[in-house]
Parts: sequence; structure tokens; C-alpha cells
Amino acid sequence: MPTIMPPTPNREDVVATWKYLEAGISRIMLDLKAGVDMNTYMGVYTAVHNFCTSQKAVNSPGAMGSIGAAHRGAHLLGEDLYNNLITYLTGHLKQLDNAAKTHTDEALLTFYIREWNRYTTAAKYINHLFRYLNRHWVKREMDEGKKNIYDVYTLHLVRWKVDFFTNVERSVMASVLRLVEKQRNGETIETSQVKSIVDSFVSLGLDENDSTKSTLEVYRYYFEKPFLDATTAYYQTESKQFVAENSVVEYMKKAETRLAEEKDRVGLYLHPDIMQPLMKTCNTVLIAEHSALLRDEFQNLLDNDRQDDLARMYNLLSRIPDGLEPLRNKFEAHVRKAGLMAVEKVAAEAGENIEPKVYVDALLEVHTLYQNLVNNAFKAESEFVRSLDNACREFVNRNKVCKSGSTKSPELLAKYTDSLLKKSAKSAEESDLENMLTQIMTVFKYIEDKDVFQKFYSRMLARRLVHTNSASEDAETSMIGKLKEACGFEYTNKLQRMFQDMQISKDLNDSYKAWMVKVLDEDDMKKAVDFHIFVLGTSFWPLTPPNTKVIIPQVIIKTYERFQKFYFEKHSGRKLSWLWHLCKGELKAMYCRGVKTPYTFQVSTFQMAILLLFNDVDTMTYEELEKSTELSKEYLDPNLGIFLKAKVLTISPEDAKPGPGTKFFLNYDFKSKKIRVNLNIQVKMEQKQEIEDTHKTIEEDRKLLMQSAIVRIMKARKKMKHVLLVQETISQIQSRFTPKIPDIKKCIDILLEKEYLERLDGEELGYLA
Amino acid sequence: MSGPNQVIRLMSSDTAEIPVERVVAERSILIKNMLEDIGDSALTDPIPIPNVNEAVLNKVLEWCTHHKGDPPASADDDSDSRKKTTDIDEWDQKFMQVDQEMLFEIILAANYLDIKALLDVGCKTVANMIKGKSPEEIRKTFNIQNDFTPEEEDQIRRENEWAEE
Repeated sequence: MPTIMPPTPNREDVVATWKYLEAGISRIMLDLKAGVDMNTYMGVYTAVHNFCTSQKAVNSPGAMGSIGAAHRGAHLLGEDLYNNLITYLTGHLKQLDNAAKTHTDEALLTFYIREWNRYTTAAKYINHLFRYLNRHWVKREMDEGKKNIYDVYTLHLVRWKVDFFTNVERSVMASVLRLVEKQRNGETIETSQVKSIVDSFVSLGLDENDSTKSTLEVYRYYFEKPFLDATTAYYQTESKQFVAENSVVEYMKKAETRLAEEKDRVGLYLHPDIMQPLMKTCNTVLIAEHSALLRDEFQNLLDNDRQDDLARMYNLLSRIPDGLEPLRNKFEAHVRKAGLMAVEKVAAEAGENIEPKVYVDALLEVHTLYQNLVNNAFKAESEFVRSLDNACREFVNRNKVCKSGSTKSPELLAKYTDSLLKKSAKSAEESDLENMLTQIMTVFKYIEDKDVFQKFYSRMLARRLVHTNSASEDAETSMIGKLKEACGFEYTNKLQRMFQDMQISKDLNDSYKAWMVKVLDEDDMKKAVDFHIFVLGTSFWPLTPPNTKVIIPQVIIKTYERFQKFYFEKHSGRKLSWLWHLCKGELKAMYCRGVKTPYTFQVSTFQMAILLLFNDVDTMTYEELEKSTELSKEYLDPNLGIFLKAKVLTISPEDAKPGPGTKFFLNYDFKSKKIRVNLNIQVKMEQKQEIEDTHKTIEEDRKLLMQSAIVRIMKARKKMKHVLLVQETISQIQSRFTPKIPDIKKCIDILLEKEYLERLDGEELGYLA
Repeated sequence: MSGPNQVIRLMSSDTAEIPVERVVAERSILIKNMLEDIGDSALTDPIPIPNVNEAVLNKVLEWCTHHKGDPPASADDDSDSRKKTTDIDEWDQKFMQVDQEMLFEIILAANYLDIKALLDVGCKTVANMIKGKSPEEIRKTFNIQNDFTPEEEDQIRRENEWAEE
């Protein structure tokens, strides 16, 4: 079948050409469903091409012979077609405008969307058909900077906006908002309608400077703004009513649901660009406008430990600026109060001598409770963590138990640690122990007077080592590792040296035994007593020689002299101070009547000195004992007390207290259930004394610590203003304890007197080498 | 058969039917857009090309066949380098060795059918014919009658003095 070429109008006749084109355009615009045949398509394209390339330009009046026109190059035809197209589109849109007036609500939306789809599809066709016009006339006009000339597709959009959109956008938007309100009220709606409207509005945003790009301006102005306004109005009304009729917790749940719904709405049918402003709007209406109400409920939720609701409140208030700050303050105050009350409770139950474990447990319980809350409800947010830390630091250092001073907390904590690390019947499992040590570190972190803890800890560690009653070497190492991690090398240096001394002593005992085999004859070896010794560095160990004289018993004096000989041979120039009050030994009681296996007495060296006297006599007066042992009253009396209580000795007159004028008898009828009898019990008075001593030395040590810090700073700076020096000293020492400013000033004065420092002009201090 | 190797038919202005691979025909943006818009269902009939006769259409399709594998020109390929150079590849130079009338027909057809690369080659060929020639020689080459008065010629020469180095 031969194809008939499409008829083409006279290429130079505008009227005829347009008449032909209009028929084709109308077909496309109004009846595209019926399809466009190739002939029409090619015919329209060719007619546009032919019109634009007609020779009319050359013959147009004024072009002939004009040099100016020749300069400009070929005149391009097309303006007539362009203007006619505008007229056509305006006419078409006018009809749509009239038709739109007969529709409202969803019908209007349906109409708008149908017409928009039809129009834009046609626009794509017509843009192709007018491509020749786009390529030449439109391009030239735009290159020359003419405003308001667009490629044919864009022209369609521009006309839609000007001739139709501006007339209907209000009623369209009103319909959209009514639809969304219906959905917010729980009805099901055709969401694709809203989506189509959004897409249309977005398409109408044309960049004035570059028509190939689009902007969201039209959409923002005509859609986003009214949408947000409607959202605000809707939720203002709803939340006001809801709050009046329901509890705060119920309102929080409602707000959470609404926020989630709005977020989903964006994904379902809104432009992603609206997410941020929509969320901001919702946050303002649903949260910020009710924030005072929410915060008022916070204390109530805390008091009742409503973790879920607290988490809810946190999530809501974290969405608005400065929403959480007031909560943090309330939280801090609440935790501090809870801590103080917990301490007050245990203090009231225990009275003066509070059990260290009870005290530490009370602190930990409060901390654990609120740390869980911070982690679970407040997402471990760093500011809440800080509030928790502030509160804990307060109640750990300043509570009822440490009324007398903040040194009580570190003392009790160190004692509790000692009770864990000391071998005892109820020693904890290794893994439990590690957990408990970790918990101790939790409290330790908050302790301000870390130097006090250090002091007590090192004393108790010394005792554990010397008495070899540490529960576990691993646990000891682990604890020191933890302290080192928290406070640095210097803090644990001495503690570590103590461990080293223990190791060195072990080797020393071995070489002493070897030495004895080499040096002693058989007889001496037989007479030698079992002997073990620790040699400890004076400067690392918090131990002092006994403040009493003692006459060393004859039986051990040989051993004593022999070891000194061995040691000084090995290390000449060293001094050995014997800490008799820490030594212990075992005695066999061969004298008891009617006993098959003799009893073994575990005794201190002082007790040994007393008991061994009864090898020669059965009775001694108090004065004889005093003379023969040279022990001071503070040691002699309590030890005699222990013997009396255990009935190793008896006293005359009966029931008297040891003292001048009393007489002591060896009890041959001594009986005990156990073969080994431990008489080496630490005297209560000694313990008290030790604690007092420790506290006393703390003040002295602090002065030294401050002075050495000051000297260190001045050595580095050479010159410094007084005020700055005080500040710097505080910041250096703070990790150990909180120094008082007058104390620092006193230390500076001491250093001035000792001529480590000098006064310079203008409040400045200088360093003297 | 659909797809790029599908054979479609074109009809020239003098009603000659020319079968051609779809991918070749689609070098013409006009044909490409039309097939896109109307759809394959319209292909029962040959596509009318009212402005191009059989001889020229064959010539154009010869060029399109040779260049069917070229990457499609991007939307803004109006880069200066392409515009300024008058270099033409060897095949195209040979292709363009036709009489003047055919050359102009090819250019017009390329413009009508919207085949940018072919239009460029055609125009460059003409540009090369002008390059280095005096006005008199150009007039002779293209058979142009001088319709300037001597005064007008003088004025133009003075205005363009800057360009003559």
C-alpha cells in the first residue's frame, strides 16, 4: 500500500500553517488516547520546519541591502508560531479554569490531576513536534538574553501556572488539607491524590535563570506553608483538649504516636523536603508548647521509678532545643537526695561504728539504680552521665557518715577493700571478687580525697603482706592495676614496690638457708629455730618501729645475730630496724598436765618474751615482768590480758587487772579444744591508734604534697603571679584531694622562709635554685 | 522483531521505500522521538519523510549506518573545542566528496532530520571550502554574484581591517 505523503500547508503562509498545526495540537491535547498517526506527526513536524526555514526572511522588508541586518546573520523565523501556541494554550487553560469551578474537594482533586496528566503528556509530544522551533528560534532568543522565552515544554508549564494554577491553587490546597485532616481523624483516604498534587506543584517550580533546572519555591509557597499552618492548627486544638482530659503520661504516648504518624506521612505521600520543617512544626506544637507540663511530671516519674515513661519524656524533650537541661538539674538533685537518704538510713541503723561493707553497699545501690536509669531511659546521654557523676560525687564525699570530714569515705572504702582482699572464711569466688573490686572503683572514682584512700590502702596492704593473709595474688595485682589506671603510676608506685620486696625477701630466705648450711656446724644446726624474714624498704612501707623497748628472748637472740651477720656481709652499710611488734612465732607448751599432744601457741614476739620467762619460774610479779621484758605498759598490759582471758596464766589477786602489785602464775591445767591456740590477736586499742595515726599523717603528707607541687611548678616557670600559682597548684593536686587556698598560701610562706622562693615586684614570685 | 536490529521502513518524498535497521534510523532525533511518542504499533506503515528524496535519504542513511555505534551526543555537547575545529575524520571526508548540490542537500536533510553530528560534518566541509580563499575566489566557488556597490565593499573592508593580519 503506497503511503500518501502528509499534506503540508504553504510554508510561507502563517495563517495556513497555524491552522494546520492547531488541528494537530488539538488532537494531541484533547484526544491523545485515540492515538496520533505517523502522518499527522510527521506533517506537524514538517510544517514547523518548513515555516521556520521559509525564504521569507531574505525577502522581508528592510533586510535587503541593509548592512546592519547582514551583520546579524540569518533572521530566524518562529515568533509567530510561538505566540500562536501561547494563545492556544491560554484558551485551553481558560476552559479548564471554567470547568474547575464546578468541582470541589476530592472531585476537584481528581479533575486537577486528570487534566494535569493529560496536559503534561501532551506537552511532551508538542515539545517534540516543535523541536525545530526549540533548536533554532527559541535557542537564539534565549542566547540573546530575552526573558520569558522558554522551550516549548517549559512554556506549557509556565502557561499552566499563570493561566490556571494561580486561579485554582487555593481551592485545590483547601481540598488537600481537608483530605489530610480526614486522615488525621482516622479515616482512610486516597493518598495517591495528595502525592500527585505534590508532584504537580513541584514541577511548576522553574528556575528563572535556567529553565532546565527546577526549584522548590512554588511548592514551598503554595503547598508546604499552608500544610504546616494547618498542621499547627490541628495539633494545637487536639493537644489542648487531650491534655485537659488525660494524664501527662497518656499525653506523652499520644504525642509519640502522632510524631510517628507524621513521619510516616512524609514517606507515604509528601515531598521528602518537608520532613525537617514538618518535624519542627510538630515538635513545637506537640512538645515545646507543653514542655512545662511534661517537666512538672518528671519528679513524679523519678519518685516512682517509671523507667518507660522517663524514656518517653527523654525522647520527646530531646527533640526540642534546650528541652533536657531542666531535667538534668532535677535529676542531679534527685540522685543526690537519694544518696544522702540511703547513707542516713544505714548510719541511723549502725550508729558510730558503721560496717564498711554496709556503707559502700548503700552508696553503690544508689549509683547502680540511677546508672541503669541513665543507660536505659536517657540513652546514656553524656550530659545525664555528668549529672549522675556530679550527684554521686556530692553524696559520696559529703553525707551524714562523713560529717566530721570527707576523709571518712575513703577510709571506709579502703577498709571494705581490705576485707575483700583478706583471707577469711567467707572469701568470695575469684570472679565475684573481681566484680566487687570493679564496684569499689566505681565509688573510688567519686572520692575526692584519694590520698586518704591511698594511705589506708597501703597500710592494710602492708599488713596483708606481712601477715601473709592475702586472699589472692591475682586479685591484689588486679586492684593495683585498677588504681594505676585511675590515678597514674605515681599513685601506685609504693604499692608495687611492696610487692617487689616480698619477692626479694623470698630469695633472701633461700640464700640465707644455703649460707647457714655452709657456715654452721652440726650442733648449731640442731639448735637453730625455724626462721623466716621479710626485709622491707623503709621508704616504701608505711611501717614504723615499735614505740617500746623489748628484751629479745634468749632463744632467738642467736638467730637474730646470725641473720644480721649474714645480711651485713651481703650488703654492707645498710641498716636493719627490727619490727618486733609485727613478728610472730610458735611455742610448744610441753608442761600441760594430762595432755597427750602438746598445745602449740601462736604468739607475737612480745608475747613470746613474756611466756618464755615462765620456762624458768612458775610465778612472776608484774614488776618482775616489766623489768625482764622492758615492755612499756601499753604493750605489756593488753598482752597479759590476752593470756589471762585464754587462761594460759592466772592472776592474783583473782579478777584483778594487770598492773603493779599483781602476780601471775603459769596455769598447768590449761585446756583447749584446739591443738593450735592463736593468742596473737590484734588488740582493739592498737587498731584505733592506727586509724588516728593515719589521719594525723595525712595532714602532714598533704603539706609536703602541696609544697612539692609548688616547687615543681616554680622550677618550670621561674616566675609566676601569686594568684596563678595557687590556681595551678590546685589543678595539679586535685586528683588526690581538694586543697584549701589558705593551706596553699601557708605552704608558699614556708617556702619563702626556706628561701626556695622570693618575692618580686607586682605580686610575682620567683624561683631560687 | 523489536529491538535495535529491527528493520523498519522509511519512505522518501518521491515515495521510495527504504528498509533500514532501527538503530540506524534512530540517529535521527526526529525519528527517535516519533517512535518513542507513537509507539511500535504505528510501524505497520513506512515512516513518511516528506522533505528528503530517495538519493539524499540513501546517502544520509549510509552515513548513519557507518556511525550507528557512535555514542549518542550528550545534551550540551556544544563545547568550544568541537565548534572551533574544522577537522573531519577520514571516512567522513571521503563521504563528503560529492557534488556541491548533493552536499547542500545532505546538510538540509541533516538539519531537518535532526542529526547533529552529520550537520556538523556538512558545515565543516563547507567551512573548509571557504578557508584561505579571497572573496573573489569564494564567489567563484559557490557561484555567487557580487551585489555590493564599491562604496559598500570599501566600508566592509574598513570595518574588518582588524581581522586581516
